[in-house]
Amino acid sequence: MLSAETKSQIEGLIQKNRVVLFMKGNKHFPQCGFSAQVVQILKEVGVPFDGVNVLQDAALRDGIKEFTQWPTIPQLYVDGQFVGGCDIVKDLYAQGELQKLLGAEAEDVPAPVIHVHERAAKAFRDADDGSGDLLRLEVSSDFKYELYFGPKKAGDFEVKAGGLTILVDRASAKRANGITIEWVETADGGAFRIDNPAEPPSVKPLSVTELKAWLDRGDKLEIFDVRGDDERARAKIDAAKKFDESAEAYVRTLPKSTTIVMQCHHGGRSRRAAERLVAEGFTRVYNLEGGIDAWSVKVDPKVARY
Amino acid sequence: MGSDHPTDFVGDICEAIRGSVRAAIDDAVVDVTGGNGHYTITVTSSVFAGKNMVQSQRLVYGAIAHLMKGDRAPVHAVDRLTTRTP
Repeated sequence: MLSAETKSQIEGLIQKNRVVLFMKGNKHFPQCGFSAQVVQILKEVGVPFDGVNVLQDAALRDGIKEFTQWPTIPQLYVDGQFVGGCDIVKDLYAQGELQKLLGAEAEDVPAPVIHVHERAAKAFRDADDGSGDLLRLEVSSDFKYELYFGPKKAGDFEVKAGGLTILVDRASAKRANGITIEWVETADGGAFRIDNPAEPPSVKPLSVTELKAWLDRGDKLEIFDVRGDDERARAKIDAAKKFDESAEAYVRTLPKSTTIVMQCHHGGRSRRAAERLVAEGFTRVYNLEGGIDAWSVKVDPKVARY
Repeated sequence: MGSDHPTDFVGDICEAIRGSVRAAIDDAVVDVTGGNGHYTITVTSSVFAGKNMVQSQRLVYGAIAHLMKGDRAPVHAVDRLTTRTP
């Protein structure tokens, strides 16, 4: 039950400030992915807002759900009115409606240009269930990608690429210009690969099955094993060179756009080495997720596990 | 968000979500995917016609509120809730 005390506390909070976000954690350290997404959006819109951490007050945490008749956190209030949770805030932002509501000027974003390779286009056509839904590409502010079929929404760009129509919301659009979507074969069937020139370089995860497919196809790449000789003696991937001092010197002679895969036992040590290479300016650095152990389990059982 | 979310709930949670939404919204076609506390729900129904997103989602959340209550709730989070008209 919502107590009179909690009710008046909430009413006070949403009247005190124009934009109030009930969230988990505070706006500098959100403690939940959904709260973090809304904080990020509000920061991008650039309006001041009050973040209320419901984790510090159990009565408030339950009370706000009852007050709003909304079972989830975060909850955004503007001018004392409930606007929505994470999904709705994302949608409103994507349509430019949130900016209007908050009195911020919606940015004028040009329609993005997207390239879709033929194999990828075919995979999309095959996946189309004929319901009339269109392919949608979302690029979050931290450059995570989502591709799925869905209905057209207000404000969407309809981008033509590879014989397809791709829906891109206005928030994604400014991060989607120049994207290339390819289809890559993997042992699990296949997967889309997105190359985005707008994305700041970071270590990309690579599955062992994908690496196997790259090697089988003869792709040009460098694989380095950051483990010591004792571990390499037990198990190794033939194509992986030991990442010793001379290998590091060799890497520094390579073009920064060289595809580099870092590998270790389980993927932890190699990630740190990969991050170092990114910091040095390399733009296509992959960490082999699961390391030699995953390679042994999924690709080559002849390689010993240890 | 891939962390573990223990629950005391016994049974098929996706089915419980589907059943609860259908019980509340007559003509609902409900699609549920997910697991381990996190679910993606798409509901198609004529009841959403003329309603805004908050009103539409509130109908669905109201139907599954009992599955989201408490720290050991079977539904820890709805990753994506989509409501649409047929």
